[in-house]
Amino acid sequence: MSDRSRSIFIDVLLVGSVALFLAFLYVPIVTLVVFSFTGSRMLTLPIESWSTEWFGALLARPDFFPALKNSTLVATISMIFATVLGTAGAIAWVRFKFRFQQTFRLLTFAPLLFPQLLLGVVMLLWFSVLGQWLGFSTGLATIVIGHIVYVTPFALVIVAVQVYGYDETLEDAARDAGASGWDVFREVTLPLLWPGIFSALTFSFLLSWGNFYVSYSLGGTMRTLPTFVYSGIAVGSSPIYPALATLNFVPALILVIVADVVRRRAACRNVLPEPT
Amino acid sequence: MPSAIIEASRIIKDYGSFRALHSVSLEVGTGEFVALVGPSGCGKTTLLKIIAGFEEPTSGELKIAGSNMDGVPAAKRPVRMVFQRLALFPHKTVRDNIGFPLKLAKTEKVEADRRVRAMLDLMHLNPSYLGRYPAQLSGGEQQRVALARALVSRPGVLLLDEPMSALDVKLKKSLQAELKNLHRNLGTSFVLVTHDLEEAMMLADRICVMRSGRVLQVGTPSEIYYRPVDTFVASFIGDTNLFPVSIANGQGGSVAFSSPIIACDSAIAPKAQCSPTIEGDRASLLVRPEAMRFVEAGNAQPFATLNGKVEEFFIKGASIQFRIRVDGHPVPVVMDLPGTPNIPAAVGADVTIGFDRSDVFLLQE
Amino acid sequence: MRIEHKSWRDPLLIGATVPLALIMILFFVVPLIMTGILTFQSSRYYRLAWTWDLTIWRDVFGHSHYWVVMLRTLGMSLACVVLSVLIAYPVAYGLATRLGSLRHHVTILITFAFLTDTVLKTFGWILVLDQNGVLNWGLSHLGFEPGAVNILFTPTATLIGMVYNLAVYPIFTLYLSLARIDRDLQLAAYDAGASRFRTFFEVTLPLSRPGLYAGAALVFVLSLGAFLEPKVMGGGNAPMASELINQSFSTRVNWPLGAALTLVLIVIGSASLALSAALTLRRRGGEQGRLSDVG
Repeated sequence: MSDRSRSIFIDVLLVGSVALFLAFLYVPIVTLVVFSFTGSRMLTLPIESWSTEWFGALLARPDFFPALKNSTLVATISMIFATVLGTAGAIAWVRFKFRFQQTFRLLTFAPLLFPQLLLGVVMLLWFSVLGQWLGFSTGLATIVIGHIVYVTPFALVIVAVQVYGYDETLEDAARDAGASGWDVFREVTLPLLWPGIFSALTFSFLLSWGNFYVSYSLGGTMRTLPTFVYSGIAVGSSPIYPALATLNFVPALILVIVADVVRRRAACRNVLPEPT
Repeated sequence: MPSAIIEASRIIKDYGSFRALHSVSLEVGTGEFVALVGPSGCGKTTLLKIIAGFEEPTSGELKIAGSNMDGVPAAKRPVRMVFQRLALFPHKTVRDNIGFPLKLAKTEKVEADRRVRAMLDLMHLNPSYLGRYPAQLSGGEQQRVALARALVSRPGVLLLDEPMSALDVKLKKSLQAELKNLHRNLGTSFVLVTHDLEEAMMLADRICVMRSGRVLQVGTPSEIYYRPVDTFVASFIGDTNLFPVSIANGQGGSVAFSSPIIACDSAIAPKAQCSPTIEGDRASLLVRPEAMRFVEAGNAQPFATLNGKVEEFFIKGASIQFRIRVDGHPVPVVMDLPGTPNIPAAVGADVTIGFDRSDVFLLQE
Repeated sequence: MRIEHKSWRDPLLIGATVPLALIMILFFVVPLIMTGILTFQSSRYYRLAWTWDLTIWRDVFGHSHYWVVMLRTLGMSLACVVLSVLIAYPVAYGLATRLGSLRHHVTILITFAFLTDTVLKTFGWILVLDQNGVLNWGLSHLGFEPGAVNILFTPTATLIGMVYNLAVYPIFTLYLSLARIDRDLQLAAYDAGASRFRTFFEVTLPLSRPGLYAGAALVFVLSLGAFLEPKVMGGGNAPMASELINQSFSTRVNWPLGAALTLVLIVIGSASLALSAALTLRRRGGEQGRLSDVG
């Protein structure tokens, strides 16, 4: 093989592996979307007739709306807490130097290195013991706490990347132009960190929204959408779950794309070409 | 000198155990253009940051426009800064960048807009740039926007922290000329930090040469060039010749000296410091390259002559530079002659070079 | 990057760290300690009894049943690590060097798939791998006999699910490592006469080691806790440790047992993370010397 054909071979291998991996990732997702429009009760190919009846069937399930409501509530609260705590933590990670910083880093990063089920179980044990002493049982509140512990490290890492690429001279420039502390934050710091914060909001919401393990461990009798699906498919498969998947994907995809557009537009602006 | 707008006296700045400024004093007159020069780490940027209010001096006093600046934050000082990497807000348009200080000062919108446009005009920037983001501008345009932002609120002093260090030579030259013009037209005091003494000579009314946290010399460009206080200042600007000599007889401003390599009738030269000199003291004789010339038989004999061999020469454009190896002198002697297509001496030729008494200056070691 | 030194009296530092640290201590560190304490208690008549003894640990190490499940978990996790890294390396390398302007779109697609509800994705795999599923339907059109691939509810399916859910992690860590490699280093190797393969093994691979170790360790740790995949895709026929833990809470109501099993997994996982960190630091110590900028 000549050097030239060998290098083409490598290009094809690498690009091909990316394409194959994407196909692998999307096989189950596309399958779900396709089956959500089936007209049959059976989830097998070929699909003889098409319909949207299963979306109606899903909405008609009495336990669907409570799960939807719980998921929305949990994801919204977790998103806010995770992003605020994560942003504050990211600034402390990157811009500050202080005693016990390594401990702080370990403490705030460790949940990311935990299998979610174990994270959930460890918290469940604690809440159960606490619950016996204080007389409460697990439910929405414990799910929210679990999600905050699980999601905040992700938010922290995402914002930290933004803080890392941040040029503090801009804050000096603002102060030099006559800006007070609050002006600096509102006019410079926040807008420049915003792409990272926005990504963190999106990530946190979706991670919490799609989370199964922590909700499953800490939910008690409360169901969120993932645990609703889990208990449903344990009983028997039905086209309402593909329908739910389709309903899930559309807003999630829009959110992910919007977050990326925000980040990229800012990245284009924020990279000043070296003056030459 | 007009009344001083900046009076810094005995400023000391410590970073932990490292002393960045050793009791530095400097005055800048109203409307004056002062350049702070020195090698990196000499404390020039630290001094600028103390004036701007980004650093607190460890001790010493700083007055701007007559008021003590102790505890006055950067935002409240009548000075504005152009940052080394410009620090234009990437998320704000040119209009919002320039108008930012006015917005913070709650200037009325119509008035603010008028002044932003006036700055744009002053900086020769096209009004169509108002809606652009900094990343959409060229390096030179960014520079002008940064200047406009710093000048829009009519500060008493403009601080410039090596703003042109990243530009290519041609653009730098044109911006330097513009900066000089701007200074002449505005009457604002400028303080420029630069490591480029040539730039400082071209722009500043007075130059402050610093080294290791100390001020070595403050003076006009001519004083710095022709009457440097020591060999460091002398060699900081471009090529120079320093011949080691010993003092033969010292009294007053002019002293007699002797050197084994310089042939000379009556070796007397003006001297830098007024400290008393004793016979036998060591000193350096400063001769700028452009003061050197070839000595040919039959022509008028100069004050002093040296014999050597041409090691190499370069055409520098307007001048030709010769490097001449002189026996007994450790480095080649540098000589700049006006450019001419007929090179007066070839490499390897034995030559006699000389200089006049008016072009020499003695620096005590 | 300007770093501000802060003392613990600075309200800004307190505001930025204390609420987050408190939450992590209260709901992560304390629960971990509690888990450790619970392993010394027992369960009597479906209730927790504060007995302070080693019954549970004797149980856990004494029964071959637990050993079998633990070894299976380790085996599956290792297999998952190997497969994930083998898949992730070319993908991350292609993503870092070959995709140009497409890179952003591919990144969004991967991110989106990552953020999608795991239960739904797992259910999607059932529809794909089922005997009458999408895969066999496709194969039958290529001339294979109907139901040619019969892997649903086997460990193979479990492994596919685990790799599917975890391969993103090494792609991410490897991408970070590979994108940071100065292209000139590779050019210098070609220039010195090295072939492409030689260059890869002499330059690219060694420089991507931090991403490789980090990615492998992450996959290993996270796969120790795989639950949905063996339960749903594996059909529960070859339970992994997570299944035992789940049972000790749901059906057996034996918290100390669940705590002990959890702790075993945590210790194994932490050891593998420490190993990966040690390998990375040993390499980097001499090369760069800046260990603090990992984050």
